[in-house]
Amino acid sequence: MFLSVKCRSALALAVSCALQVQIAQAQGMPQVGSDWPFYGGDHNAQRFSPLKQITPANVGRLERAFVYHTRDLPNPGSRYSPETTPVKVGNDLLMCSAKNILISINAATGKENWRHDPGVPDQAIPHAAACRGVAVYTAPEIPESAQCRSRVVEATLDARLVAVDLRTGEPCKDFGQNGTVDLWEGLGKKVPGWYAVTAPPTIVNGVVVTGAQIRDGQDEDAPSGVIRGYDAVNGKMAWAWDLGNPENVHGPAEGSTYTRGTPNMWTAAVGDEQLGYVYLPISNSSIDYYGSNRSEEENKYSTSLVAVDVKTGKDVWHFQTIRHDVWDYDLGSQPTLLDFPDKDGKPVAAVLLPTKQGDIYILDRATGEPLVPIGEVKAPKGGSVEPQFLANTQPTSEWHTLRKAPKTEADMWGFSPLDQLMCRIQFRQANYEGYLTPPSVDRPWIQYPGYNGGSDWGSVAIDPVRRLLIANYNDIPNLNQLIPRVQADKLGLKPIYAPKVDETSLNKAGSKSGKGEGGASAYPQVNAPYAISVNAGWRNWGTGVPCSAPPYGGIRAISLDTGKTVWDEPLGTARRNGPFGIPSHLPLNIGLPNNGGTVVTAGGLTFVGAATDNLFRAIDTATGEVLWEDVLTAGAQANPISYEVDGEQYVLVSASGHAFMETGTSDEIIAYKLRK
Amino acid sequence: MNQRSSESRSNGRASAGHSGKWRLATVVLALALGAFGMALFGGGVWLMALGGSWYYTLTGAGCVITAVMLWRQRFGALYLFAVIWGLTLIWALWEVGLNWWGLVPRLVAITVILLLILAVSPSLRRAPRSAA
Repeated sequence: MFLSVKCRSALALAVSCALQVQIAQAQGMPQVGSDWPFYGGDHNAQRFSPLKQITPANVGRLERAFVYHTRDLPNPGSRYSPETTPVKVGNDLLMCSAKNILISINAATGKENWRHDPGVPDQAIPHAAACRGVAVYTAPEIPESAQCRSRVVEATLDARLVAVDLRTGEPCKDFGQNGTVDLWEGLGKKVPGWYAVTAPPTIVNGVVVTGAQIRDGQDEDAPSGVIRGYDAVNGKMAWAWDLGNPENVHGPAEGSTYTRGTPNMWTAAVGDEQLGYVYLPISNSSIDYYGSNRSEEENKYSTSLVAVDVKTGKDVWHFQTIRHDVWDYDLGSQPTLLDFPDKDGKPVAAVLLPTKQGDIYILDRATGEPLVPIGEVKAPKGGSVEPQFLANTQPTSEWHTLRKAPKTEADMWGFSPLDQLMCRIQFRQANYEGYLTPPSVDRPWIQYPGYNGGSDWGSVAIDPVRRLLIANYNDIPNLNQLIPRVQADKLGLKPIYAPKVDETSLNKAGSKSGKGEGGASAYPQVNAPYAISVNAGWRNWGTGVPCSAPPYGGIRAISLDTGKTVWDEPLGTARRNGPFGIPSHLPLNIGLPNNGGTVVTAGGLTFVGAATDNLFRAIDTATGEVLWEDVLTAGAQANPISYEVDGEQYVLVSASGHAFMETGTSDEIIAYKLRK
Repeated sequence: MNQRSSESRSNGRASAGHSGKWRLATVVLALALGAFGMALFGGGVWLMALGGSWYYTLTGAGCVITAVMLWRQRFGALYLFAVIWGLTLIWALWEVGLNWWGLVPRLVAITVILLLILAVSPSLRRAPRSAA
């Protein structure tokens, strides 16, 4: 029904399209092309559009088709990072705003069809208000004309699943309680903002699968990271995957909760309709930087990709990317499904997993066996407060890593010799033995790559035509230090559930941070012997200038056949950045922190905002050259999409800014098409 | 020079004001460079003690000496700083090559200082100076 893929000209594309169409027809899956039916494009989450009207030759004629305002803007003191990526079905774009207002607009005009506000309170906002996307599900068993045959499902910041009719936005009466399912059930005491969903749910074989982000670093006794599946029609819980207690598959016993403090899944999963598996990119435990109190089960599953059978709710296999994670190397990227050759060159159904460490893994979807060579690196232990807990070695991908060589003193930076000197002193004072230097308390340690990646929630895109993987990535160290409990108490570090005495926008219980959480912030890590201070991006004291030299982020094309880099360019210009937060207005390519991914089109273009320069740009997928850009009022920290209406190709991105990335605030969703 | 001497003969007051301004600029530059050099030197000694680069200590000392020479209105300040600048260029290229962003903290400030010294240099004394 959604099969309006354009497959023309290039033979390779025709063949690949024909194959895709065949497979999709066989499965009855909505197909990417005219539509963008899933958060990640197609059901494989390849972030690839087969559309090819917009090309490197004509992209200069790309201009705004419409700007839609969600009208969901922060109240004073609230932090917003909407990160919204709509889906497009038929003539409609379906999306959620930062505070979970479900919205349908006309995909050609931007005119609003309907909106449904589930009424999320400001209190429920975690680090920042975000809603990355929604899932659309069509229930074959419901009659064609009936309400909610096709429904839009989202999970909210205040931990509810919400389902509304695709055409009208009316809540689906058959789903949960009048269209809502309470996700707090079984989690224990309700603390707004601690347990909040920011990722789109994944619907596999009629089961809505969701995890949640659980505010990092509060308490070892935190809400469970349990992953749950719900019937997409009636909203009944199908299963719960509690990694700490498999007995909880149908919910915890009366009066108890799912296992507390366990690793969660805050990012998007990907579903495999054929195998009936959902691939869960699992994070680290609730206390990221201290591990000795963790359970065996936490150690087994943390920072792993876990395949769970959606029929039974049981895990089938898991692949761990870091053993005994003490670096907050959560799996942040939505995995991507693709076919990849095994040892004998025979293509097998595979899942590709980007990581914050930069390593890109490709695994057999059925077994979790790696299809690419896995290396082992020796992990340093010097300066650690828990050397016995640290793993001796850690896995790496020998197929491809985005990670670069360790930093040296000469990599320290600034705008003048003075601030550079300050950074060189900090470098020499810090504990640093390269990649995987463990947390230390006597002095700060350098964590590189920092917790923003490598790859984060923007994930990577696949160009099946050119056989390329397109990855935008961060390249930033953090400067962290454990804080002894006594000192943490003196600093007044309080967990999120503590009574809020002096709450302001800049000083919320839960963390002490400056504007944005870029720069210094501290988390209490209650029940661990240490709190944690994180200087994200290692910003220098006083000037705010990063201590490491640019680039801070790039975009890279990797050959799917060889795993080798085809091109690699810094992503982002210096126009908005400068010392003391003063924009330099320099149009020079510097390579900036970036969050949000790409959309790659068959027309040969890669569209990406992501960087903190607030530009949205089209890049030649073959060469990496920026061919077109548009200046935005706020940052486009969201994954763009591409779709077609009435024979015209559109590219759309939400440019709503991002609190953590310090790229302003807006409610704009911007669509582009070619000028006639 | 000739022109200026003739000016000074014809209008001693104006010339005193003019050279006074230059003198003031040189003093301000000397003070600023002195502070900058001492900060570099102090931090540089700290960095050396931590096992880091010696560049900042040496350059900091050079800047302080240059500042003293400027304070005394010595033309030699320009020569000394030109040498510091040249050595800095070599050091910068050795550390980061032609990496443009890497060269920014290493060369921009020091080049600006060189240009400022150049700007005040016409008012500096070439020692030993014969009476005008």
